[in-house]
Amino acid sequence: MTAIRFYTPLFLLVALWQAAAMGGMISAELLPSPSAIISGLVHLASGGDLLTHVGVSIYRQMAGLLLAVIVGVTLGVGMAQVAWVRDVFEPVVRITYPLPKSALIPLLILWFGIGHNSKIFAVFLGCLLPVVVSAFNGTRGVNGQLVWSARSLGTRGIRLLWKIYFRAALPEILSGLRIALALSFTLLVSSEFLIARAGIGYLIQSLGEAGDYSGMFAGILIVALIGFTADRLYVKFMNWMLRWQDQG
Amino acid sequence: MAYIEVAGVSKVYQGDTPDPIVAVDLVDLGVERNSIVTIVGPSGCGKSTLLHMIGGFIAPSTGEIRMDGKRIDAPGPDRGIVFQHFALFPWMTVRGNVEYGLVEKGIAKAERRDISQHYIDMVKLTGFEDVFPNRLSGGMQQRVALARMLACDPDTLLMDEPFGALDAQTRVIMQEELREICRASNKTVLFVTHDVREAVFLGEKVVVMTARPGRIKTVLDIDLADDAPRLKVDEKADEIWDILRDEVIKAVVPGPRPTERAAG
Amino acid sequence: MAGSGIAAARAAAPARRRFKIPAFVRRSASIVVLLLVWEAVGRAEMVDPFLLPMLSDVLVRGFEEIMEGGLLQLAGFTLYRTLLSFLLAAAVGVGIGVAMSVSKRARWFLDPLVSFAFPIPKIALMPIFVLWFGVFDVSKVLMTAVACIVPIISATHLGTRNIDKYLIWSARALGTSEAKLFWKVVVPAALPAILTGLQIAFPITLIVAIVTEMLTGGQGLGGYMIYSARFGESDKVFFGIFVTAAIGYALIEGFAWLRRKLLAWHAETAHAV
Repeated sequence: MTAIRFYTPLFLLVALWQAAAMGGMISAELLPSPSAIISGLVHLASGGDLLTHVGVSIYRQMAGLLLAVIVGVTLGVGMAQVAWVRDVFEPVVRITYPLPKSALIPLLILWFGIGHNSKIFAVFLGCLLPVVVSAFNGTRGVNGQLVWSARSLGTRGIRLLWKIYFRAALPEILSGLRIALALSFTLLVSSEFLIARAGIGYLIQSLGEAGDYSGMFAGILIVALIGFTADRLYVKFMNWMLRWQDQG
Repeated sequence: MAYIEVAGVSKVYQGDTPDPIVAVDLVDLGVERNSIVTIVGPSGCGKSTLLHMIGGFIAPSTGEIRMDGKRIDAPGPDRGIVFQHFALFPWMTVRGNVEYGLVEKGIAKAERRDISQHYIDMVKLTGFEDVFPNRLSGGMQQRVALARMLACDPDTLLMDEPFGALDAQTRVIMQEELREICRASNKTVLFVTHDVREAVFLGEKVVVMTARPGRIKTVLDIDLADDAPRLKVDEKADEIWDILRDEVIKAVVPGPRPTERAAG
Repeated sequence: MAGSGIAAARAAAPARRRFKIPAFVRRSASIVVLLLVWEAVGRAEMVDPFLLPMLSDVLVRGFEEIMEGGLLQLAGFTLYRTLLSFLLAAAVGVGIGVAMSVSKRARWFLDPLVSFAFPIPKIALMPIFVLWFGVFDVSKVLMTAVACIVPIISATHLGTRNIDKYLIWSARALGTSEAKLFWKVVVPAALPAILTGLQIAFPITLIVAIVTEMLTGGQGLGGYMIYSARFGESDKVFFGIFVTAAIGYALIEGFAWLRRKLLAWHAETAHAV
């Protein structure tokens, strides 16, 4: 089924919404019509600031996510393979796992204030654990005979880690990353709502405070679309990387 | 001294149980160069463990294993291995898997191509070079595993119940093909199986192991011609089965618990 | 003869350490060390106490807050909103999921909505909820419920659809009517999947509940922490984090206990991380 056909009910809903708005059945203040939102969007885009705000947000999110991936995969694989690493870090992981990472945002505000770093670290800390856990589980679950086969074919030491363990753990790492990606959006938007001078979250808040509700809705729509697109692109990337799994 | 010399080797595991588990108990075995030796025994008799120690994957608790005079303490490309569940690298194509050992050896791309193609053809998988393992049947996957091992040209071939996961019909074909390959090459082959007929069909010598703790019960020579009629093979197999039967019953039917056995 | 291998192995093995580090020590050592370092660093005045107050100061302040400041009441409010949102999401989510597996029309309509809603950060909708419902409990609870409902719908839908058909066929052959089939076979068989969906939604609930409190204030841990941060009272921020972690832990353990009770019959050897 093509995407258009699949999302038809969504389009119908939007059409219904537009009709209801035009028929005066919905308060224009509380729920702007789709057309009002679109014009709000256009207004924002033509203003020139939009790109800056979106760019800032994406920069913060990517920085935090990249940090989480690099540190998280290293830590997860290290914990799975090296006993002392596991002994040192597993208690820390276990203790911090139940803490909702959004609770760290006030602390990050205290430490980093209003600038980029509070958001970057919010994303980093929030996404770290899912990555560590999936890297750990993925590496632990590697079929021992794969490793033996590689060793009998001449692979040794660090090379074994990179060529075999990492590749074999990749499916699990990649699905953990998908979760981390979604989480990164939540943490970015949350922290930008709470304290920021720039960014799409800040933009949405200030539009709302200024009473420009179609603008506010437009901003939210942008966030939704970015999140949706990012996930879709990631799934494509994941399927490409794991094309060898395809059962055909 | 034999080409592969197993001297006083045992493997003892200290698990959660009060008594240690003796997988292999003081085994002495000599394997001549270029011979094909099959190892049969009941489940849990330690035959795979023994093979894994010869492969260098596990360290023996006592004794030592030497190949060509050198002590074995790690895996290496001089001892190739094939496992029951294929252990192919799922993220690589057939060619990728077969060329893996060659890449590790640092062989140039063009030469790798030639070598891998030769072995892919040998195991009758021509045309499947760019296919991923999970699209292949069990028999085909095992052929890839064979090609991967052979491409490295190891002196010794270790096979850990390689046909155990295949259906009976595929197994028969694979046995015939493997024997052809083994006879044609001059390699030392150690083949572990629980199928007595397979052991007789493939082996020049059959090592019979006892139930756990695994020891060598006896070693028999098989002097059957390659084209010996099925009847002869079955006769020999029955002979060995008679020797093995009691051990299998010991392995399959749970006896008194170890503490009681020690007292009794 | 059987003993010979063991005896030889013992003789050959290198002398083992006399003692083994007990498991619980190994499992908590690094945390204890971390806490000790924290305290030591504070006492040695190596760090700005604004950024990293001494651990003992945090604990003392926290104790005061509990005794006099009503911190536990605030925690109670957070817990109340979290559970309320979760129950709301669970009831509606399971209902929608079941509807989707039973009715083709429902599936046609809801599948794209769920698909679209899945990857978007639902917290972005908070300004809308505030616009519609104000800054009190209603907006917080609704936002949190909406944020965590999607995994519940997905898991319920998939769980009730992917029932082993042989279970259904057996039930039919044993005389189960179509109406009874749903409650007697489908729901119990789908329960593990549904519970997994609920288990995924649960932490999301707490995360979002805290954020809603931080955004709209009011009585709760989120509000407490953000106000403390804005007033520079870092020891309260730290203690707030401890309390929140404790609540998170209690909720996770509670849920795991519930799952064990409900699925006692299921061949689950799973140990969730």
